[in-house]
Amino acid sequence: MKTIVMAWRNLLRQKRRTLITLSALVVGLCGVVIFQGYITSLMTGFRDTTIRSGIGHLQIASSAAYFQDGEFNPYSYALKDCQALLSDLQGRPGVQAAFPSTGFTAIAGIGEKSATLLVKAYPAERMFFMPRTGRALPPSDRFQLGTLISGTSPAAGDRDRLVLGETAARILGVKPGSVVTLMAVLPGGGLNGRDFTVSAVYRSPGRDKIFAFTDYDTAVDFTGIQGAAVLHVLASSVPAVEGIAARVPAGLAIRTWHDLATYFVQVNTMFNGFLGVIRAIILLVTLFIMANTMNRIVRERMSEWGTLRAMGTRKGGILLLVVLEGFFQGIVGAALGILVGFGLSELINLGGGLPFVNAGQRVIVRLAPSIQSVWWNLVPAGLFAAAASFLPGLRAVKLTPAQALRQI
Amino acid sequence: MSLISVRNVHKHYHLDRADAPALIDVSLDIQPGERVCLMGPSGSGKSTLLNLIGCVDTPTSGSLVIDGEDTSRLGDAKLSEFRNRRMGFIFQSFNLIPVLSVFENVEYPLLLQKVPARQRRARVDELLRKVGLAEYRNRSPENLSGGQRQRVAIARALVARPRLVIADEPTASLDHATGGSIMQLMMEMNQSEGATLVFSTHDAAVSRYAGRIVKMLDGRIVENGSAA
Repeated sequence: MKTIVMAWRNLLRQKRRTLITLSALVVGLCGVVIFQGYITSLMTGFRDTTIRSGIGHLQIASSAAYFQDGEFNPYSYALKDCQALLSDLQGRPGVQAAFPSTGFTAIAGIGEKSATLLVKAYPAERMFFMPRTGRALPPSDRFQLGTLISGTSPAAGDRDRLVLGETAARILGVKPGSVVTLMAVLPGGGLNGRDFTVSAVYRSPGRDKIFAFTDYDTAVDFTGIQGAAVLHVLASSVPAVEGIAARVPAGLAIRTWHDLATYFVQVNTMFNGFLGVIRAIILLVTLFIMANTMNRIVRERMSEWGTLRAMGTRKGGILLLVVLEGFFQGIVGAALGILVGFGLSELINLGGGLPFVNAGQRVIVRLAPSIQSVWWNLVPAGLFAAAASFLPGLRAVKLTPAQALRQI
Repeated sequence: MSLISVRNVHKHYHLDRADAPALIDVSLDIQPGERVCLMGPSGSGKSTLLNLIGCVDTPTSGSLVIDGEDTSRLGDAKLSEFRNRRMGFIFQSFNLIPVLSVFENVEYPLLLQKVPARQRRARVDELLRKVGLAEYRNRSPENLSGGQRQRVAIARALVARPRLVIADEPTASLDHATGGSIMQLMMEMNQSEGATLVFSTHDAAVSRYAGRIVKMLDGRIVENGSAA
C-alpha cells in the first residue's frame, strides 16, 4: 500500500519534468481521440448510407446461393409465402420496415438509342431520392438511392414508371416525361417489352449508368415472377439486427448488413488500421520518452533506492515502486490526453464540426469520440509506460545497497 | 558470544580493471550493547567495514557472523529481512524519503514487518516523543533543519528495536553544536533501547561518545582499544 502511495507522490516530486513527460502523451492521445471521433462519425455516416443505399440491415432470401448470383438472376430465388413472412417481420420489435425487392435485366430503347439496365424494384413508398438542394435526411424506413436531378420519384400506386440514372439518361437522351421501351427476358425464357415513363433522373456516381428503379408491383407485373427475390429489413438500430436475425424462421438464408457491405467493411478496416498504427506510434514514442524519464529518475534517486534497500525493502519492492511510478505517469498522461481530446472535440462540434469532401460534396462531420476509446487508450498507455519503466527499475536494483548509497 | 564477529575479511573494488583493496585482513569482535567508533582518514576503509557489518555489501573473502547468523549464507530476500529486523541505519546525509512525512519515514521499517497499524502508531509516536519531534509528525522532511532530520533518522533507525545500529558519519553534515546534541541523543537512545551502536567519524570530539575506538588506516585496523 505504501508503495502505491510513494509511487503516486513521486509523480509530483518534480512537477516540471512530469509535465514535460506527460505533455507528449497528452498531445498524442488527444490527437488519437479527435481522429478516432472523426473516423467514428464518418464511418457511422458511411455505414448508415451504405445500409440505406439498397442493402438494408438484414436480407432474407430463399437460399444462400441468392447472395452469390441473385442480383443478376433473381427469378431463380423467388421466396414463397413472402407476404406472410413480411407480416410476421413487421410486427417484431426493432423492425422499422420490412419489404420485398426484385429486379430484372433489361434493354432500354428509345429511337435509335439503347442501354442495358439493371432494374431494381422496391415498393414505391420505400424509395427515397435526396433532393438536389438542401440536406433533407432520408426517412429511416426507406432506401436512399441517390440524388434527385430532375422529376419526381414514383408514388405508391404509380405504375410503369422508371427512375433512370443520370448517365443512362444522357446515353438515351431522355428526361422526365420521356417514354422508353424496356425489353426483358422472362422467367420462362420468353421476351416481354413494355413502355415505361421516365419519372425522374437520379445521380449516384458509379451506379447511375447501370441501375434504374421501378416500383415492386410494376416489376412483378412486367416479369410475371411469383414472390420476391429477397426481403429487406430496416432495423431501428444496428444493435437490434442480431435479435431480428435470430428470430427469422429456419430454412431461410439471412445476411446482415455487415456481411453484405463489403466495401464499407474494407474502408472501416482500413481506417481502424490507420488508427491502430497512429496509436501504436504514439505509444512507442511514449515508451521511449517514459524509458528516458524513468532512467533519469532512477539515476537521480539511486541513494534513495539504497536507503530503502538498507531498511529492508526487497529488490522486487523497489522494482514495483519504479514500475508503478511509470504506470501512474502513463495513466495520468493518457487520462489527461483523453479528457483534453473529449473537450476539444466538444469545442470543434460547437464550432460546427470538421469538413469532409466526398465526390465533390462537402459535408460537415461532427466528432463522436467514444467511451470505448477511453479504455483503448488508457489501458495500453498505462501498460506501455509500466513496461518502459521495467528496465530502469532493474537498473535500480542491480547495484548492491552500498553501491547505490554511494551514488549522489 | 559476540554480536558481530568479523574474521579475516578482505574487500576489493574493481576500478577500471585495477583491483583496489579497501579492507585487508580485518578481524573484529563487537559485544552486545557496545558503542564502537570506527575512526580514520578518508579512504581508510571505515565506511566499507560499516557497510559489511550493515550487510549492505559483501566481503570479497573472510567471514562475517552477526547475531549468530553467517551473513554470507543469506540470499538477497533473507538479507533484506535480516537488515529490516535486526539493524537500523543512520546516514551522514540523513537519507529520509522526501515523499513521506516524518511519521511515515519512521513508520517505514515497521510497515515492512507488517506490524499492525495500532502498534505501529504507538511505537512511532513513542520514538518521535523521545527525539523531541512529536509535533512535527506530519511535516515533510524538507521542512526540517539538518538536526531535526537526523533526529528523525535516529527514530527511524530504532523504531523496529534493532540489535544493531550502524551510523556512518552521523554528524558530518551538522554544525558542531547540533552534532554534539545528536550524539548525546544517540547515546541516550542506545541506553534506553539497548541497541549496539557502531559508528564512524573522523572527528575526535564525536569519538568521545564511544566506549571503544577502532582506528583504521589503509584498509587495516591499526588500533583497537577503549575510548578512555
